Amino acid sequence: MTAALRLSGVTVERGGQPVVEALDLSVPQGSWFGVIGANGSGKTSLLRALAGRLPFAGGSCRIEDQELAADRAARAARFGFAPPGDTLPDALRVRDVLECVGGTMEEVRARTGSVYAALGLGALLDCWIGDCSAGMRQRVAIAAAFAGGHRLVILDEPFNWLDPVAVFDLRRALRQQVEDGLTLITALHDLGTLAAACDTGLMLAGGKIAMTLSHDMLRAAGADPHAFEQRMIEILRS
Amino acid sequence: MGASDGRRGHLFRLDCRIARNATRAALAGRRDRLNAGFMLVVVLAALHAWFAGRSWQIGAWAALGGGACAGVAAGRLIAARLHFHGTDGLLAALALRPSTGRHYRLAAHGIGVAILATITLIARPSLLIVSLPAYLAGAAVAHLTAMLAPSGAVFAKVRLGWTIRIWLHRPGAGMTAAAAVLLSLVVTGTLSSNARIAIVGIEAVIATLALTSVDHPTVRFMTVAGQGSWRIVAHHGRSMLPFVLLAVPITWLILGPLAAGIVAAACGAMLLLMTMRILAYRLHGRRFADLLVSVFAGMLILTAYMLPPALPVAALAILWHLHRRAAAKTWLLG
Repeated sequence: MTAALRLSGVTVERGGQPVVEALDLSVPQGSWFGVIGANGSGKTSLLRALAGRLPFAGGSCRIEDQELAADRAARAARFGFAPPGDTLPDALRVRDVLECVGGTMEEVRARTGSVYAALGLGALLDCWIGDCSAGMRQRVAIAAAFAGGHRLVILDEPFNWLDPVAVFDLRRALRQQVEDGLTLITALHDLGTLAAACDTGLMLAGGKIAMTLSHDMLRAAGADPHAFEQRMIEILRS
Repeated sequence: MGASDGRRGHLFRLDCRIARNATRAALAGRRDRLNAGFMLVVVLAALHAWFAGRSWQIGAWAALGGGACAGVAAGRLIAARLHFHGTDGLLAALALRPSTGRHYRLAAHGIGVAILATITLIARPSLLIVSLPAYLAGAAVAHLTAMLAPSGAVFAKVRLGWTIRIWLHRPGAGMTAAAAVLLSLVVTGTLSSNARIAIVGIEAVIATLALTSVDHPTVRFMTVAGQGSWRIVAHHGRSMLPFVLLAVPITWLILGPLAAGIVAAACGAMLLLMTMRILAYRLHGRRFADLLVSVFAGMLILTAYMLPPALPVAALAILWHLHRRAAAKTWLLG
């Protein structure tokens, strides 16, 4: 399978300190790649650097066979990325946010596809962001990642703050989009979703790869999620 | 790949829309709009009256200082906003393009220049040749310092900022500031008395401004954690006590009561400003609270200028009004 993204020896620094070190990974096109790890293990920094929101301090980042490690703007243009919900501008309506990223609402609806309904966006369009709860903001932020029509999307812990119905619907919609060719990279804390929905992944610890999660490993995890969870917790604890 | 003209302007138009909506929300009521309009007219009239009563040279110095400060502040605000757009914004891909950044800076400074030109024309039109170049010089300085700062040092700078802010609220900071005032009085012993009073006055303003800094998230957290207004004021003003107790008597002994009075007045004014900010932060989001405090500070300055004996009454009335509303916010989230 062709790689949509290939990282080799990448390092990400924050405040002059490396938070991700000499990391190698490859994400196949049209797959869901899950990143797990303890708090502070470097998941968010890695995803932000991939999406051009942070610079890489070193290494190679090839996106669809183009070397973009030194070009933040080009990386930001390649990926759909959900900004943190609490940074969305209070003084805009949900409709304004989506139109700002994706053009007209018709275009946004077409680009977000099944995600639009899963997030229940129709009922939110006229709400002010300032009046939205954390869960509603999270829905808008996820929709913004899809509104630009990107085929590579990064979501950092997308299921946080969502109610159980929204989690179920969104997970199914994301999986459907992946089946249709989307390449999705998500940071997750939910081992059940990792086992049930992701194709491949990795576990980060202290900014380094603690474990690579192959397709076969995750299929086996899907078959026996309890055993998988127990094993992962043991590794995370250590 | 360069951004097309339309896309380049997209980022700036987004911020204009946010600013327009936020202003509409802040001035939603008819009374709010009337109050703001009245305040604006009064402030501009006072500015005009102040400049009319001064020689051109004094006016030019004020325009130079005001223009340069406005340029630096606008430059820093624009740089911070562009940084936000490139990291957490909705249009990061656009914001990270150098051509979009240039367009955004030009458009935003265009608004800054237009506002400053309007104010200068109302205050004293002949000062335009001073205020606008000063603004542009200030903006250039802000741009250059932002460019020279290494991008990787942002987080280190933030951490250093936290450390300094915490230290500034410790009694040791007040003692250090008072020692600095004493040192400057010793060092400037050969200067005239007027020059020394001016120096100590400027030092007192700078020191008290630093010692009374207010952190919005800290005030919000302490409010939600059940702390009352005066406890938060005491927390933020801890370093002021040693400064007042040391700097005022030292200045009195070395330079006399006039200089001591100036230092005491600076302390009182900054403590008042700090208290108003804390009470306003308990009530509102940071931007609106800062706007509200600016309006109240403007009212107090006008009162001091036109009717000085009424100043304590006006200050107490504002504090009582804010405190009464802020007291109800203890423990409340949001």
